[in-house]
Amino acid sequence: MINSRRFSYLFLLIAMIIPLFGMPHTSSAQSENDPKTPIDHFIVVMQQNHTFDNYFGTYPGANGIPEGVCIPLTVSDPKNKQCVTPYEITNQPISDLSHSETIFFDQYQNGKMNGFVEALTKLNQDGQLSMGRFTEKQIPFYWNLADQYVLFDNYFSSAHTGSITNRMYWVAGKPGSEFNRIPEGGFGDIPTIFDRLQERGITWKFYIKDYNAGLNYRTAKELDFLPPQVQWVPLLSFDRFIDDPELSRRIVDLDEYYTDLENGTLPAVAYVLLLGATEHPISDLSLGERATRTMLHSLMQSDSWENSALFITYDDWGGWYDHVPPPQIDDRGYGFRVPALLVSPYARMGHIDHTLLDHTSILKFIEENWDIPPLAERDAQANNISSAFDFSMAPRPAILVSDTREVPEPRVEPRRIVIYAAYGAAMLFAFLILLRAFSAREILPPLSYEPRPPEEIKS
Amino acid sequence: MSLRKNSYIREFLSQRRISGARVWRRWWSWDRESVTRLANIAFVMILAAGIRLLGINQIGFNTDEAVYSGQAAAIAQVPVLKDIFPIFRAHPLLFQFLLALLFNFGVSDLAARLLAVAIGVITVYIVYRLGSLLYGESTGILAALIMAVMPYHVIVSRQVLLDGPLVLCTTLTLYLLARYALTGNPIWLHAAGIGMGLTFLAKETGIILLGSIYSFFALSREVPVRLQDLIISFGLMVIMILPFPISLLLAGGSKIGQQYLIWQLFRRPNHTPDFYLLTVPGAIGTLVILIALAGIWLLWRERTWREKLLLWWIIVPVIFFQIWPTKGFQYLLPIAPAVAVLAGRTLIRWLWLENPFIGERQLNTLWIRVVAGGLMILTLLNTSWMAIQPSTTGVFIAGTGGVPGGREAGEWVKENLPSDATVLTVGPSMANILQFYGHRKALGLSVSPNPLHRNPSYESVNNPDLEIRSNNIQYVVWDSYSAERSAFFSQRLLALTARFHGRVVHTQTVTVTLDDGTKVDKPVIIIYWVHP
Repeated sequence: MINSRRFSYLFLLIAMIIPLFGMPHTSSAQSENDPKTPIDHFIVVMQQNHTFDNYFGTYPGANGIPEGVCIPLTVSDPKNKQCVTPYEITNQPISDLSHSETIFFDQYQNGKMNGFVEALTKLNQDGQLSMGRFTEKQIPFYWNLADQYVLFDNYFSSAHTGSITNRMYWVAGKPGSEFNRIPEGGFGDIPTIFDRLQERGITWKFYIKDYNAGLNYRTAKELDFLPPQVQWVPLLSFDRFIDDPELSRRIVDLDEYYTDLENGTLPAVAYVLLLGATEHPISDLSLGERATRTMLHSLMQSDSWENSALFITYDDWGGWYDHVPPPQIDDRGYGFRVPALLVSPYARMGHIDHTLLDHTSILKFIEENWDIPPLAERDAQANNISSAFDFSMAPRPAILVSDTREVPEPRVEPRRIVIYAAYGAAMLFAFLILLRAFSAREILPPLSYEPRPPEEIKS
Repeated sequence: MSLRKNSYIREFLSQRRISGARVWRRWWSWDRESVTRLANIAFVMILAAGIRLLGINQIGFNTDEAVYSGQAAAIAQVPVLKDIFPIFRAHPLLFQFLLALLFNFGVSDLAARLLAVAIGVITVYIVYRLGSLLYGESTGILAALIMAVMPYHVIVSRQVLLDGPLVLCTTLTLYLLARYALTGNPIWLHAAGIGMGLTFLAKETGIILLGSIYSFFALSREVPVRLQDLIISFGLMVIMILPFPISLLLAGGSKIGQQYLIWQLFRRPNHTPDFYLLTVPGAIGTLVILIALAGIWLLWRERTWREKLLLWWIIVPVIFFQIWPTKGFQYLLPIAPAVAVLAGRTLIRWLWLENPFIGERQLNTLWIRVVAGGLMILTLLNTSWMAIQPSTTGVFIAGTGGVPGGREAGEWVKENLPSDATVLTVGPSMANILQFYGHRKALGLSVSPNPLHRNPSYESVNNPDLEIRSNNIQYVVWDSYSAERSAFFSQRLLALTARFHGRVVHTQTVTVTLDDGTKVDKPVIIIYWVHP
């Protein structure tokens, strides 16, 4: 018979050994999903339709609009020497410029980059508007972000066409269809980064400001136009992301972003569409800035900030001028440069990154950070945005970024020495006078006011 | 008590080389009166210090303390605070200058309050000297005892307020005037000019005591004064006041000084006309006032210039501040020493009572005085004791003490909010506290957009919706104290939190006692995170 003491020892031994077998599996499962960098949360906001020169063409130190640029009114008539120089858009109305593949090549002019005006004029649009540029006056917040964090000046849209294709590169690393349109049956089985994340059990969400959950590529067929939400959220053109509740429940309204920040449930990867605050012409740019600023500040105010990165970019060029000829790495792209910014406690401060990048560089970062195999050839060959980080430094504390570029009037510091001198001198003066008074050898008269009975007073 | 009786001490202190045994012999040889007197003074001073130090820092600053300490921190160039708090506001900077000397070694609310207590205890000592000078040693001791436990002075001298230093300077001036009146030596009148200058530098409202001095000299023929000495004294006062305009002009604060002047002249009344009647007698001690007034009547036949001096010292400020639309709990504090001395006089000097039933025979009033005096001191002590206890109701009156939970909430803000975060509070009071402890910009919702109706130091939030929508304000702070004073702005603030997805990120509670005696943790300050 086993005595009870021995049994206890045996039990204890077994209890100690069992976890040893279990532990490697558990820790391996955890480390598999652990990011390779301190970035636990990667949030990507993709806005619409601006080029780098259109937003940051005059940003100091960046590869902006060259001196003396003047784009001819027409390239088909060499005798016509009239040209348009880039100009600052102030209060004049703007329009939504065409930005189809045809327009791209007309503007690209085999790398001469001089067809921007004529390409649009041919379509009876205001071609000169393409030479307009915004400055720190119109987008002060983004310029402030560039001052504090990282601005990319060699970041190209992935395709020389519109939103749908570029956004497919953003999520899947490939165009998804032959033209810039959603196929009749959706994008089918093309794998996306979210499929990979889902398989691995890595959290993700697609946040949409003013999300209409009933609107997708199938329901949109009943309409006589393609709603922006469907154009700009590629996942809403995949049957599985519509039908599979495990996937569809991760496409949510932006309100949930704030709830997630509050609850500490921010996913590892989050894509964001600011549908209700788009910067797509002819929208008010300040709406997009404000929405992005609110998102960023909320992130900064949350516990997640120390391990987060927020990447802001634009899907396509929107018909605007940019002076850098995009490398043509295949028959779909690149398109013209678009603005891109990185904000993170690990982002280099006031850094302008010149690495050749495109939308698939975002996939590259996700894939390398979470050890996910490439989705397609483009993202496999893309450069990573990691050069914009400096993980050797301690995370920078959150500093809320202003939405104004107004340089505050230099604060006139009060001359404190005057205060110290004036009040110090007064105290010293008072001390000396009082000292003189109290040091006087003075014998007070005897108190001729001793209490007396009333009779004495009467007498 | 003449200085001649202090000869033992003087002689003792003048001995430079003296053996230990000789010291003992000297002490032993002191007469009982001197020893008793010293023991009495020591007792009063220790009592004054003790009651002022008791739990001195258990509650953080109130809004005024935060402002004055913030000014001092700005003078001392303390990082962050120097950018939040302007140096120049409504008042001269004597106390802030002294605080700044402390803050050069580090900002500490405890150190600031200890300085305030030290000033309060010195004031009690000067009251003793004043009472002794006017009516003898016993009156001095009793007046100092009254002052030591008087809730009015205890409450104020435990706080970093300008009124503590103001009362020190006014009491010093009163003492110097009394000394002049007693001796006729003009040096004391000149010194009184210095005292008035210090009074102004402590808080400019003290200048109204010039009215008291004028009334006293004009209506007291027994105290002659030469015009030449008056002019010299006035000149010395002006010289002493000079640091105020000089620092405003040369240190860059003239504009804000003008704005304050306009604001003070045109601001709306902040209290009803019966404010002082309802608050000050209880704080001074109703019995103290009654005894002081009774003395005027009972000792009418003993009247001299002394009572005139003390009464004018009381009457002028009372009339002025009653008429002045802006009222504050501590504004009448300069009258407290004079009231204390008058009450002490009554209890010491009212020796006989004419018995209406037994003809000419006088009755000794000793027992009446002992009972009345004992009751008065016990009442004062009890009221002071109650007053220095932290508020258990979640409600407080400005100037009466610290704000429970304010420091803790501010420290939470400092630890947890991004450095450039901006906070919206119900009113500027909580904003000041959060700015001092939290090192973050805070704006008061109730601050009027009309420059004529707001303190020039405060920034108004003209469109809070837009500011939150534009993410220029990221946090909203509700507090029960401000809500109690302004239900309207409290409701507006809560409406903003509801509209902008307000989420509670911190709740500061204090333990309060309900009507049925049960104690509960009541949320007094709630910090919301808001976003569009």
